[in-house]
Amino acid sequence: MVFPTVQFAVFFPIVLALSWALMRRQGVWKPFMLAASFLFYAAADPMFCLMLAGMILGNQAAAQLIHRSDDARRRKIIVVVAVAADLITLGVFKYYGFFATEINGLLDKAGLGLPIPLADIVLPVGISFITFQAISYTVDVYRRLVEPATTIDVGLYLSFFPHLVAGPIVRAREFIPQLQAPRDPRKVAVGAGVALILIGLVKKVAIADYLAREIVDPVFGVPQAYSAPDAILASYAYAVQIFCDFSGYTDIAIGLALLMGFVFPQNFDRPYRAASFGEFWQRWHMTLSRFLRDFLYIPLGGNRKGKLKTVRNLMITMLLGGLWHGAAWGFILWGAIHGTALVVEHQFRGKVRLPKWLAWFLVFHIVVLAWIPFRAPDLDLAGSFYSRFLDWGPATLWAAPVVIMTFLVIGLQLLPARPMDALRVRFEQLHPLALGASMACVILLVAATVSSQGVPPFIYFSF
Amino acid sequence: MPEPETPETTPQPDPRQRSRFILDRESGRMMRARDALICVFVAVILLLLIEGASIRNTGNKMDEGIQRTMVLAVGEPAGWLADQLPLAAAADKLTAALSPDDDLSGGPGGFNSAPVGGGPTQVAGTGAAVAPITTDAFDPAELGVKPKQLPSLKNLLITGDSLAQPLDVQLARRLAGDGVATTRDVHLGTGISKTDLVDWGLLSGKQVKDEKPDAVIMFMGANEGFPFPAPGGGDVACCSAEWAVTYAQRARSMMDTYRRGGDARVYWLTLPMPRSVPRQKVARAVNAAIEVAAQPYRSQVRILDMNEVFTPGGRYRAAMAVNGRKTLVRRPDGIHLNDAGAGVALDIVLARLRADFASLG
Repeated sequence: MVFPTVQFAVFFPIVLALSWALMRRQGVWKPFMLAASFLFYAAADPMFCLMLAGMILGNQAAAQLIHRSDDARRRKIIVVVAVAADLITLGVFKYYGFFATEINGLLDKAGLGLPIPLADIVLPVGISFITFQAISYTVDVYRRLVEPATTIDVGLYLSFFPHLVAGPIVRAREFIPQLQAPRDPRKVAVGAGVALILIGLVKKVAIADYLAREIVDPVFGVPQAYSAPDAILASYAYAVQIFCDFSGYTDIAIGLALLMGFVFPQNFDRPYRAASFGEFWQRWHMTLSRFLRDFLYIPLGGNRKGKLKTVRNLMITMLLGGLWHGAAWGFILWGAIHGTALVVEHQFRGKVRLPKWLAWFLVFHIVVLAWIPFRAPDLDLAGSFYSRFLDWGPATLWAAPVVIMTFLVIGLQLLPARPMDALRVRFEQLHPLALGASMACVILLVAATVSSQGVPPFIYFSF
Repeated sequence: MPEPETPETTPQPDPRQRSRFILDRESGRMMRARDALICVFVAVILLLLIEGASIRNTGNKMDEGIQRTMVLAVGEPAGWLADQLPLAAAADKLTAALSPDDDLSGGPGGFNSAPVGGGPTQVAGTGAAVAPITTDAFDPAELGVKPKQLPSLKNLLITGDSLAQPLDVQLARRLAGDGVATTRDVHLGTGISKTDLVDWGLLSGKQVKDEKPDAVIMFMGANEGFPFPAPGGGDVACCSAEWAVTYAQRARSMMDTYRRGGDARVYWLTLPMPRSVPRQKVARAVNAAIEVAAQPYRSQVRILDMNEVFTPGGRYRAAMAVNGRKTLVRRPDGIHLNDAGAGVALDIVLARLRADFASLG
């Protein structure tokens, strides 16, 4: 089930009402919310629920075993087995086809036939997010940062529908404590929740989908047919599209959770104002960033084992971060570009000082250029897209709404946050009736911009 | 990811890099859960009163299942209520400027308005006069005659439903260097037997008027199997001969539109068998109807048999030999072609285009 659909518009009010009606009776509320979340997930494919249930039970069993054991070696073996099982599940569903094809290609060239069987495996929606949250729970129990929760709490943590399919990646120690007692019905951030939902809808439907339709999909589809002006605008537009699409989703997810009394961590903070790559990653997909930092970069040694190992650790982290997005060379190249940029930044830290505007300009444009292999279907087409920058010709897709929308979204990120925040706070203080009426008006306006093709899936659904 | 600025001695997260929460910042007031419900239900009621009919229509278009039941349980009464009020029309008027599409859901020129041949809802055995057979009915290649080539392919239209992807983009890429302007006009979730979203009778006329294509590639059929209205009322259900007659009538009228009186060539791809057995039944009826539909225009309409290529003998297979290597050619849904499969279809389409257009050599 996708947020901006009629199905979800029917589902959510019913679940919200029942959730608050049952909130005081946690013995009923928890099974109800678990069932609602599974129903939400089953809308994509009921078979996926088996995988989700398996991950809940498997990680809960591992967490319990780890908690009960005082033997450090045994604890370590269990956590390694549990994490490996999570990663194997992810690997089979997400990467089997990619690696089977690549390895078969290599073996074929070496004259060794085709030993790895091909299989058309359906990728369960949100598997990458579910896997990372499952790992977060088991490892946090191992690190004694969190006590093992009850099985139903773990089930709710992994399946809670607002963050189930595309994050934000909520850590066990952020979410499970919120399940320990009923949410306080006198302290609900209704205004903030509604504001986020509406901002998310506008970002996704009115901006991201519009830019995709009008410029990004045509130019990235057939870059050869366009010249430099269109390719340049399309690359900026894709940077805006992916930001609005993904941050729009997480805005809606965080807003829905707030209406239900739950708080999720922020996932984006005006990333295109970053003047360094380190800062970019503190503003872009922040929950993935800190997951990779805490579960990969720091365990690899972080920056405390010398310069060379720091470089290695940064590159491994970013390459795997790229691969997390999907089984394609474009994602790996994207990770490599960011990894290299972080390494260069690390090497020159304190030695070279650029004016802030120049640092911003360089970082922003490298980020925009790095999105090209991320979006292009393959590396050949990414190369073809880059080559368009050298082929000056007519601008065929420079329509005023596309240009205004693209540069407005980028420009707004460069402005100080305070005036926009003040505006949002004023909106959040409206009476609930006015908030509801505003919600209906914005939904009507946004719905009018939907093409006959319907609302395309969020980009991060396929990750 | 971002390198922690402080020395790292333990895996504990740096407290200065702790998660940020939306409520950390200066925020609006806290309200009660009751206020959340008031807010959401005010929005829901307003939307039901204004868009009730749209919700009902959406439900009607959905596949059978719990989601459809859920949407219709709300959409039916809401639709009735909205029908009694003038709000929907007013809202449509106010938001019309924002809509990215023309209304292609029916009306003059559509399947249900202008009878084609014996009429769009004609069923077999109506006793109509025998239509004359013209030279258009013969594919020169089948007669052993060299087909007359058209001088150049300037405008190419590739259209259809989701089956046309990713073939559309692959074809556009391949022809980009040949001076061909390719228009990709794919309408997801639509079908010839489904006119509520897009009426292909109407759309095909608009496409030809707007693009004036020299060649049209059509690949459609993932959303077929919906009943047609019967001439005397009621429905003709898929996949009887009567259903195939109406499908063929509609497809024929589209072929006639696309061939532009003989100035253009049409390449209509049949359906490779899907994995699901109920869908195979629909695909067989669609393929049979396409073959029949093309008969009067065989000199300009080419039927490209994807069934024989991808699913020889009508048996589903996910992988086949491509360039000597066993390769997956279908998506996991068992309906669509993946990139490799579309590449196979692309070669077939290109071979036929080259035979028909001198400029492609």
